[in-house]
Amino acid sequence: MSSVENSADWLGARLARKEDLRLVTGQGRYLADIVLPGMLHAVFVRSEYAHARITGIDTSEARAMAGVVAVYTGEEMKAHVKSMPQPVVTPNLPARYPTFWPLAVDKVKFHGEPVALVIARDKYVAVDAAECVYVDYEELPVVLDPEQALGEGSPLVHEEDGSNEIFAMTLTGGETPEEQAANAAAVEEIFQRADVVVSQRFRCHRTGITPMEPRGVLCDWNDSDGLTAWITTQRPHIDRLALSDLLDIPAEQVRVVAPRDQGGGFGVKAPFYRENLAIAHAARTLKRPVRWVESRYESLMNVGQERDQINDLEIAASKEGKLLALRNRGVADNGVGTTGVYWGFVMPFLGAVELPNAYTWERGDVQLRVATTNKAPLTPSRAFGHFPTRFALERGIDMIAHRLGMEPAELRRRNLVPTLPYTSVTGEYYDSGDFVKVWDNLMERVDLPAFRAEQAQARAEGRYLGIGFGCGVELSGVASELLVPMENQPGYGAASVRLDPRGKVLVFGGDAPGGQGHETTTAQVVAALFGIRPSDVVVTTGDTGTTPFGSGSIGARAGSYFVSAVAKACAELKDKITRILAHDLQLEASVQHFEFVNGEIVYLGDDSKRKPFTEVVERIIMFPINLPEGEVGGLEHTAFFEAAKPMICFNADCCIVEVDADSGNFSIRRWVTSEDVGTLINPNIVDGQMHGAIVQGLSNAMFEEFVYDEQGQQMSADFEHYKLATAADVPDIEVTYAPTPCPHTPLGTRGIGEGRPSSVPGALTNAVCDALSPFGIEITELPLRPGTLWKLLREARG
Amino acid sequence: MKTITVTVNGTDYEESVPERMLLVDFLREKLALTGTHVGCTYEGVCGACTVHLDGEAVKSCLMLAVQADGHAVTTVEGLAGADGLTPLQRAFSNHHGLQCGFCTPGILMNMSDFLARHPDPSDEEIREGLVGNLCRCTGYVHIVRAVREAAREMREGASGVSA
Amino acid sequence: MFPSPIEDYLRPSTVAEALAALERYEEGEAVFLAGGQSAMQAIKSRMLRPRCIVDLQDLGELRGITRAGEGLRIGALTRYVEIANDPSLDGALAALRDAASHVGDRQVRNRGTIGGSVCWNYVASCMPAVVLALGGTLALAGADGSSREVAADDFFLGPLETARREDEILLDVRWSRLAAQSGSAYRKWGLVRDALPVVGVCVLVTLNGDGNCAAARVALSGLAGGCQRAPAGEAALTGTAGDAASIAAAMDAIADSVETHSDQSADADYRRQLIRSLGAAVTRTAFERARAA
Repeated sequence: MSSVENSADWLGARLARKEDLRLVTGQGRYLADIVLPGMLHAVFVRSEYAHARITGIDTSEARAMAGVVAVYTGEEMKAHVKSMPQPVVTPNLPARYPTFWPLAVDKVKFHGEPVALVIARDKYVAVDAAECVYVDYEELPVVLDPEQALGEGSPLVHEEDGSNEIFAMTLTGGETPEEQAANAAAVEEIFQRADVVVSQRFRCHRTGITPMEPRGVLCDWNDSDGLTAWITTQRPHIDRLALSDLLDIPAEQVRVVAPRDQGGGFGVKAPFYRENLAIAHAARTLKRPVRWVESRYESLMNVGQERDQINDLEIAASKEGKLLALRNRGVADNGVGTTGVYWGFVMPFLGAVELPNAYTWERGDVQLRVATTNKAPLTPSRAFGHFPTRFALERGIDMIAHRLGMEPAELRRRNLVPTLPYTSVTGEYYDSGDFVKVWDNLMERVDLPAFRAEQAQARAEGRYLGIGFGCGVELSGVASELLVPMENQPGYGAASVRLDPRGKVLVFGGDAPGGQGHETTTAQVVAALFGIRPSDVVVTTGDTGTTPFGSGSIGARAGSYFVSAVAKACAELKDKITRILAHDLQLEASVQHFEFVNGEIVYLGDDSKRKPFTEVVERIIMFPINLPEGEVGGLEHTAFFEAAKPMICFNADCCIVEVDADSGNFSIRRWVTSEDVGTLINPNIVDGQMHGAIVQGLSNAMFEEFVYDEQGQQMSADFEHYKLATAADVPDIEVTYAPTPCPHTPLGTRGIGEGRPSSVPGALTNAVCDALSPFGIEITELPLRPGTLWKLLREARG
Repeated sequence: MKTITVTVNGTDYEESVPERMLLVDFLREKLALTGTHVGCTYEGVCGACTVHLDGEAVKSCLMLAVQADGHAVTTVEGLAGADGLTPLQRAFSNHHGLQCGFCTPGILMNMSDFLARHPDPSDEEIREGLVGNLCRCTGYVHIVRAVREAAREMREGASGVSA
Repeated sequence: MFPSPIEDYLRPSTVAEALAALERYEEGEAVFLAGGQSAMQAIKSRMLRPRCIVDLQDLGELRGITRAGEGLRIGALTRYVEIANDPSLDGALAALRDAASHVGDRQVRNRGTIGGSVCWNYVASCMPAVVLALGGTLALAGADGSSREVAADDFFLGPLETARREDEILLDVRWSRLAAQSGSAYRKWGLVRDALPVVGVCVLVTLNGDGNCAAARVALSGLAGGCQRAPAGEAALTGTAGDAASIAAAMDAIADSVETHSDQSADADYRRQLIRSLGAAVTRTAFERARAA
């Protein structure tokens, strides 16, 4: 690292992170580490049934226990809190938004739903008391299958809606039913004349990304300031507005702080949750700090559940290997849908939007129906909605290749969108990049002919090697154009950059990261722009009391929108600094005539004219005399960034496996990726994002599964049953880059990492199918487990 | 309540604790050593709470505080000495072996015990050694690299070869 | 989750004191805690709600592996890490190391004990099946000063059930005489590395002078009925030379004769397949070890 320390070129440096020192010494401050005087502990009583009417709740024994301060039921809390939906956390998409309160009222709709809230002086006592809250239930029939939920006569999850169809949409063809019908007919016409058609049902199980730190909230109340809420959250500013609206507290009396250290988010900490509302209400009522730290059991029963989709996918292609049209009928299992911002269906909605991926299609006919069931609500997980649709599409493409007898890699390359910008058949705008360059970079690393030779040799020895590919167009941040309809929030990035009299730089951002290294990447950008050192930059995130409004640390916004806002603010400040410096040096010059380097500001026309950065900054802030006409002292600027159109990043994956054709056991021998992440700020951090995302994808595809029994009981609510990949279960990952700087951001950067797991299941299953091609096996369901593979092999052998 | 005497990070503590208090809560709440984290309910699988008990890596969520009476506990706060970070802590930073940092203290405690017993591990051995620590962010790639590089540095340090 | 209220914590320093401590409570109210790697899960989830914890950590007499004549004793408080790292556990006892070195993870192996595991007798655990296959004897001491030995075949009574009475303590697992020309092996399968066994198979074979199998013991873990012998496989292995065909036939015989169940980890068919594939691998290893012994 020492060579980097001496370099002025911080952009692209593999710098050790600013976050690390506190985190490797146990000095991080996560939510559960925050303690306030007189703090009380909260425990939720949760539903034991998937669907049942609440006929009575007896809290008397719990209330009488020593150390218990309060017990709330749904009925009691309902009188003091508004019901959902509320506009601030409700998309602008037509849907049946269910009504719900912080605690269940009248009936429970999934196993694990909060029913009552116990507040005690000691967390052990709170658990004791929660056991003594007795709820009488009258069991109701459950619906757990989305297709059944959409059928006639199904039990209704939200009775007042009259239907379990929470959301349905045709994503192709236009706005009107007539246009859509015409498009569907045109697609059908392509299928009629196509040389080859694949028509297949693909299923993806319920899984998602479970952060190592569960959720938590600590609320404090006083009568003058109102509510201060520390929340494990990716979007504190939205939480603030939601708490204000739902608790009817004036907005200026609500402050939300996302702790600087958060143990991962991955989308799970992006929704607005009913538990936060319940705790805030308790703190307001009791005028005491109240903290809830979610147990893993609650976490696995309530959040991180996603990906639960059926996709009936059809692909039409020509015999030359040209992809012509795709048709998809998606059905997503939404669970109860009771989460703010997303309501479950927003993920499958985006999954359908992203189905066409990086390939050119003449036409598409994509429809989605989302069904409410008696399961936990879907909550976002990295690769938001499109893990299942990408799995289906990438598998479908290999199936086309198999029908054509064509190399799947070659089929992909022929059909990659050749030049950008491009608008997909579902209307997604791909702004810039070079898919073919990324692809060719991957193939250069992989050496497919050599692999095919090795594969043939191995087969002769009775060993089964396989290679699989997948690729992914991912959102680089979410533009307002998409985020306003999808989440009722703006997409722009916002940053305040404040210089202090000692020449240090304080950056404030409203998004709240959970381990992605914002402090470091931001400091590198600022250091590069001001010619100072990253150690001179301090980054504050997540406190609504000090940061500008931001929609949250979501959708790979940091490298695109946030960093760009930082760069814009720095540019404004450099303008002002150089205006005043030129005046002081009696030069007719502006910012382009100066270089900020190695702690100095140097006049390019005569490098003897230079001043230390700190001196100039101090002069402008502390000694604002003899300024140019019209200038005022002080150096702080808040900037907002949004490109004219949405932006993307792109990746391609290659997986090589060996499969034991007797047992179905398989091992991943190699994983190689090629990435267009635009300009790299810190390659270590980008590498880490890729490693983590790919392994999450593998763990989701192979190990993790949320399981419900036929009564809707959750069977996977601990880490003995919900299995995450350990270090010994996953391969090393080779990451390579073929970047094209983004022309729409000031530094050429792209936001990366959010959607990254989505190309993993396709590449993995394609590799296994390639290995087992002598048996003609086509995998159509996840998870991919040795047991299911063994069964497929047994069937294939007859 | 029971009064227990425990040496934590070299300091002797005499504290009165409820019999049922978990060791991890004793460390976090009684001693305010919040570097040791909790990531499971009851199952003790995630490893974020790993500490050393008499020099061996154990999960502090699967022990009662009273069981530690008379023993020495080391937490992540006790790893770095007066001379700064250990080679393992340095390697985690230098090789980006952590992202959110929630699992990191447990991993550092497990791997410092591991390296004391396996000074020259293969990557496969490191991965096997890490089975008791779940990480959600890193995909383990940089963790394995950090442990490998720390081992190398520690070996070279021990043999007097300069890094 | 946190344990329900515990009134007393005792740390006896002798077996007699440990047994005396139990007597003060009604049955089930006082719980022995060895390594606690299973018991603490049960106590934290409140499946167990002990009023008193009797912590056995100071019973040094129950710790360690000792050889006496032709026999061997493994103290009940001997930890997995100590079993895994004892190279003298080879041949007929090698399965103990196979199992101990893959129980849970390093942290669990640093605390978990063989005695705790066999007395807990969880269906998805390794040690009960291994002790059963290896034909160990379990030495128990009672509060009245009595002691008795129970053969493994009589000890494991079903999931979470053993022949140990509430007022008894397990002293050690012992083998009075280790058969010559014997080899054992154990392997399990779980979804991720070193997870609890979805299926585990332990095989002990003893060879006669010709190198053929004179006797075999096979035990399975992970089945709903708890750890169990597989007599069909034992009979089928006896008399064979451990060739691939007879091993496969023996494993088929086991797979066809045991009851397997379906759950989220594996369905009944795949459990049978695991018995065949793991069984074949461990049987091969057991034969190799027997030949080398």
